[in-house]
Amino acid sequence: MSLFVASLGFGLVTASILAVAAVGFTLQFGVTNILNLAFGDIMTAAAFMGYIATSNGASIWLALAIGGAFGAVFSVLLNRLLYTPFARRGTRLFGMIIVTIAVSLIIQNGIQAIWGPSFFSLKFSPGHSYHVLGSMVFTTAQFGIMGIAVVAMVGVYGLLRYTKLGKAMRATASDPALARSCGIATDRVIDVAWILSGALCGIAGIALAMNVTSFTSTTGGTFLIAIVAAAVLGGVGQAYGAMLGALTIGISSEVAAGLIAPSWKQVVAFAVLVAVLLIRPQGILSEVAEEKEVVA
Amino acid sequence: MKRLTAVLGLLVIAFLAGCGGQGGKGSTLVVGAFNPFSGGDASFGPEMMGGCIPAVNLVNQAGGVLGHKMTCQAVDTRGDPADAVPAATKMIATTTNLVGVLGPSADEAQATVPVLNSAQIPMFADTGEAAFDHSKYQYFYRLTPADDVKGYALAQWAYQKGWRRAAAVFGNDVGAQSDVPTLLKAFKELGGTIVSNQSLALDQSSYRTEVTAMLAKHPQVIFTEADPQTDATYLSEVKQLGQMMPVIGTETTLQSSWLKAVSGAIGPAAMTKYVVGMQPLAPATGTSWKIFDKALLAAKKSVSNPSQWATDPYSMTYYDGVNLMALAMLKANSTKPADYAPQIVGLTQAKPGAVVVHSFAQGKHEMAAGKQIQYVGAIGTIIFDRWHNASGAYEAVSSPNGQTKIIGSVSSAQINKLKAGA
Repeated sequence: MSLFVASLGFGLVTASILAVAAVGFTLQFGVTNILNLAFGDIMTAAAFMGYIATSNGASIWLALAIGGAFGAVFSVLLNRLLYTPFARRGTRLFGMIIVTIAVSLIIQNGIQAIWGPSFFSLKFSPGHSYHVLGSMVFTTAQFGIMGIAVVAMVGVYGLLRYTKLGKAMRATASDPALARSCGIATDRVIDVAWILSGALCGIAGIALAMNVTSFTSTTGGTFLIAIVAAAVLGGVGQAYGAMLGALTIGISSEVAAGLIAPSWKQVVAFAVLVAVLLIRPQGILSEVAEEKEVVA
Repeated sequence: MKRLTAVLGLLVIAFLAGCGGQGGKGSTLVVGAFNPFSGGDASFGPEMMGGCIPAVNLVNQAGGVLGHKMTCQAVDTRGDPADAVPAATKMIATTTNLVGVLGPSADEAQATVPVLNSAQIPMFADTGEAAFDHSKYQYFYRLTPADDVKGYALAQWAYQKGWRRAAAVFGNDVGAQSDVPTLLKAFKELGGTIVSNQSLALDQSSYRTEVTAMLAKHPQVIFTEADPQTDATYLSEVKQLGQMMPVIGTETTLQSSWLKAVSGAIGPAAMTKYVVGMQPLAPATGTSWKIFDKALLAAKKSVSNPSQWATDPYSMTYYDGVNLMALAMLKANSTKPADYAPQIVGLTQAKPGAVVVHSFAQGKHEMAAGKQIQYVGAIGTIIFDRWHNASGAYEAVSSPNGQTKIIGSVSSAQINKLKAGA
C-alpha cells in the first residue's frame, strides 16, 4: 500500500515534467497546426544550454530561465525561418511532419557533432531529501520541478482563460481564417504561441536534465513519445487536456512499475492511452483534434 | 537463412575437402584470421591481427613448427553470415596449408562454425554466444568468456565480499538480460538471495518507484547492467534516498560513456566508493604477457599502432590460440588438424612433472627435452571445460577519477565451479 502511495507521488514528478512539455507541444500545435516532432530535441538543446550555464557557475534557477529563453527564441526562429516558408508553399500536415523530423535529426546530430556522443550532467545539487506521507521522498529540486509545473499550468490556464491574447490564441486555434477576419493579428498570435511553447519546451528540457541527472544528445528525443502520448491523450491542441494526459501517463506508469513490475511501466501507460482513445478517439478534452486532421 | 547458407557451405566443403591438406616440408602453415575486417565490426579484424602476428613471429623466430614457418591470413567475414559462409568455403578450398582459424566472431559464428568444424579446421572462436557453451563441435575452442559467464563473475565477487542479499537491476534489452539467468542461479548456489529482480524500461525520466521498491527489500548490493542514462538516473535516485550501497556491474559499466554518465549523476566520490565493474581478466603482467607485449610492440611494421592491443584481452586470446595450435602440432608431431587438435586441451592442464611454459619457444624446448608441459598464456592460466570453453578469470575494477584500478579478481576455477553447479 505504501508503495502504491509512493508511486502516486513519484508519478507527480514525472507528470510535472511531462505536463510542462506536453502543454507547450500541444499549445503550439493547436494554434499553428504544425506537429513539431523536433520538440524533444529542442528540449535537449535547452538542456545543453543549461549545462553551459551551470558549468560556468550559474544557479539551476538561472539555468531554467536561460533554457526557457533559449527554447523561446529558437522555436520562434525555427518557425519564422523554416516552418512558415514551407507552410506558405502549401505544405500540409504530413509534409510538415517530415520537415520537423528532418529538423529533429539536424538538431540531434548537430549536438552530437559539437559535444560528442557522451553524457553530461547539470552542475547543481538536488538539495535535501524530504519525507512526505511517510513513504514518499522528494528532493528540493523535485519540489522545484513540481512547483514550476504548477506555476506554468496556472499561468497557461490564466493566459488562455482571462487574457485577450489567450482568447486570440484560442480563436486562432479554432479557426484561423475567421480569427483574421475578426481583426486578430494571427501572425503575431502564432509568434506568441511559438515563444510560449518554446519557453515551456526549454524549461521542460532543463527539468528533464535535472531529473535524469545524466543526459545525452538523444535524451529529449526519447522523451518525445511520452509527450506526444500525453498530448494525444488529452486531445491534441488542448492545453488543459495535455495536463490531464500528462498526469494519466506519469502516474499510471509509476503505479505500474510499483504494483506490477518495472518492465510493465510503458506497457500499462500506453495501454491506458489506447483504452482512452478507443472510448474517446478525439482525446479527453479535444474540441479541435478532428479539425486538425489528427484523428480519423 | 543462416542455416541454409551453412548447409550450402557444408555441401561445398564436402566436395572440396579432398582438395585441401597440409603442404610439403618447409611450406608455410596458414592461420586464418577469420573475422570482420570491414562493416560495422571492422575493428575486430585488426584486433585479431594484433594477437596473431606477434604469435607467428615468435613461432618463426623459434624455428617454426616441424620445419614449417607460420603466417596469418586475414579473411574478411564482413560481420555478416551471408558473406562469411562463402568466405569460409573459399578459405578452406584455396588455402592448402590452412592449419587453423582464429574466430569466428558472434557476427558469423552460428553460420560458419559448422562449416569449419566439418572441414576439420580447429578454430579459436571469439563469439560470446551462450549457444556454444555446450556445443558438440569437436574443433571448436573458445578462450574468451561466453556472454552469460558474466553472471557467475558478478555473483562470485559479491559472495567474496560477504554480501548475501542482492538486487538485480538490469535493462530490459536482450544484451543485459542475457546476464540475469546465470547470475540468479549462481548467487543462489553460493547461498545468497536475490531480494529484488528488476528489468528496467530504458531511459525513463525517473525510477523512483522502482528504487523505492528495491530498497524496501533491504539488499546489501546492486548487480546491474543498463545503458548509461538508465543507470545514472536509477543510481542517482538511490543516492538521493540516502541509501547508496555497493554496485557491481558488468564490463559494460566500465565503458567510458557509462562511467561519465554515472559519475556525473552520483558524484566521483560515490563512484569510487561504491561502484565496481567486472571484466575478463587481462592482467597485463606476468611472464607470458611480457613476452606477448614485447613481440607485439616489435611487430609495428605489420601491426598498426601495436600498443593499442597490449592490454586487449581479445588480442591476447588470439596470441594464445596460435601458440596452442603450434605447440599441439609439436606434441602430435603432425601439422594435420585431425592429428594435433586432440592435444590442445592437454597442453593447458597442470599435471605431475609438467613444466610450466610461457611461450612457444619455451614449450618447444621442453618438449624436445622429452618433458610434459603446461602452457600458461598471456591471459593467464587456461582451463578448458569438456566443451572446449575456457571461461577465464574476471577482475573487479573500480574507476577512481576516471582511472581504472584493479581491486581483486574471480578465478576461472571459481567460475567453472559455478558453471558446473548451474
